[in-house]
Amino acid sequence: MRVFKILALFMAIALLLISSPDFISAQDEDAEYDDAAYEALLEKGKEYYNARCEACHGADGDGKGFVDIIRVSEKNGRVLEIYPRDFTVGVYKFRSTATGCLPDDKDLMGTVKRGITKSLMPPQDNISSEETEAVVEYVKSFSERYEEEDPCDQISVADPPVWVASEKSIEKGKKIYKDMKCWECHGDLGKGDGPKSNDITDDWGKRLLPFNFVTGELKRGSTAENVYMTFTAGLDGTGMPSYQDTLNEEDRWHLVSYTLKLMGLTESDKKTASH
Amino acid sequence: MKKLVFLALVLSLFIVDTSDARKKKKKYEVIDVTNGGSITGTIKAASKVDDPVMKIETKKPDEVEFCGTEFQSNMYIISPDLGVKNVVVALLKVKQGKAMPEKDYVINNLKCQFEPLVGLAFKGNNFVIKNSDALFHNTNLGIQLKGGKKRAVYNLALPNLNQVLKKKIKTKGVHSIKCDAHPWMRAYVYSSDSPYAALTDDSGKFEITDIPAGTYKVLIWHEGFGEVKQEITVEAGQATTLDHTFSK
Repeated sequence: MRVFKILALFMAIALLLISSPDFISAQDEDAEYDDAAYEALLEKGKEYYNARCEACHGADGDGKGFVDIIRVSEKNGRVLEIYPRDFTVGVYKFRSTATGCLPDDKDLMGTVKRGITKSLMPPQDNISSEETEAVVEYVKSFSERYEEEDPCDQISVADPPVWVASEKSIEKGKKIYKDMKCWECHGDLGKGDGPKSNDITDDWGKRLLPFNFVTGELKRGSTAENVYMTFTAGLDGTGMPSYQDTLNEEDRWHLVSYTLKLMGLTESDKKTASH
Repeated sequence: MKKLVFLALVLSLFIVDTSDARKKKKKYEVIDVTNGGSITGTIKAASKVDDPVMKIETKKPDEVEFCGTEFQSNMYIISPDLGVKNVVVALLKVKQGKAMPEKDYVINNLKCQFEPLVGLAFKGNNFVIKNSDALFHNTNLGIQLKGGKKRAVYNLALPNLNQVLKKKIKTKGVHSIKCDAHPWMRAYVYSSDSPYAALTDDSGKFEITDIPAGTYKVLIWHEGFGEVKQEITVEAGQATTLDHTFSK
């Protein structure tokens, strides 16, 4: 009888393992890397890339297309110099993964579809999901990093707490903004003009200007979740570090409140604006 | 019935094994190294090189006083008989050998400089990143790639005094470290995926021990002189000499 129990236990373990997500994903991944299907996807991605992306990002994905530097002026006269992303390094700013991690495919697909405001990277309104997947796969193929590393898990973001952007939370966020030294780069009033604002370079050695909150437009999209993800994941390749280990979740949401206030995006700001 | 139990056991083990196999395929294997060989040598400079003095420029008044206005870069620490300090000598793509050192690597932000300037870390341990200044520092660490490019590994915020963060050492190779708030701050860490890596001392000497006999590719790297790679054959129980002279 005991033998039966042991047998049943092993069968149960075996069944559990077969049906575990890990095992299934291992099988799926084999399916994904079916060579012929992958090559066909890359081919499709290449076609789209050459038509819509190459002009800026270059035929080799190194960001050296013929468009070169893009200059964008802000209302206050500040001029941002923007360089198309160099895909060969495999580093991305707009991730939902921890600092130093490859982005999730969904992050890249989101950027392709949404475009990047203030950078002249246009949204791809009419792109099909199959085309998005193909062009993302092609973009990934420019970097060896994808052969060496797997993407990390996405950072889970709960819905913003109800108190985000409340007066009290904005006050707390203001203190955190001061204590975390956000102002050293972004300035006391969030205009991107702090004492360090002229000293920052990216990992390609190009000068970077800190985000000017007053423009009201965050490159990855100006929702509370996107602001939260920017503090949490950091913007790899730039001077913006990750605060995932530095601030707890609650404090990060308070900082979101203050950021939204600086950006003029809280409910009371909107009411004032409409009057 | 016993056979069936055994079969189920074997089957379940097999399943566990296949699901893990993909992730572990390239891992370094620890073996007993008996009668291993060693590599010793001296890394020299062809001639004396002046160590540059670097400037500190900051617009924050409290930093001008605390950080100073210039510092000795310590890029070229060269002994009277031309031995070069802080050169990394590392065997590459070693598949098996002695156990990896269990030692965390401390990166200290101290008086507006990183401490140490150059060091060795071993994969699987942790980076322990510390802020010993009452200033905002961020530790932006990345792998140096071909063509002077860099790939971010961690960019961490340490806004306050005595903040300490611990992060897994998960990448290998020469990493550079910068602080975006203090552009003059710099450091390098070589992260090794085998225990066979060394750093030259004040007289430019190094030693790597307990190496299984065989032919290896070796990297010799220095911040200012750059890097060279060459092959070296290690014989069982023998000390092999590896000297190199850098010229600028």
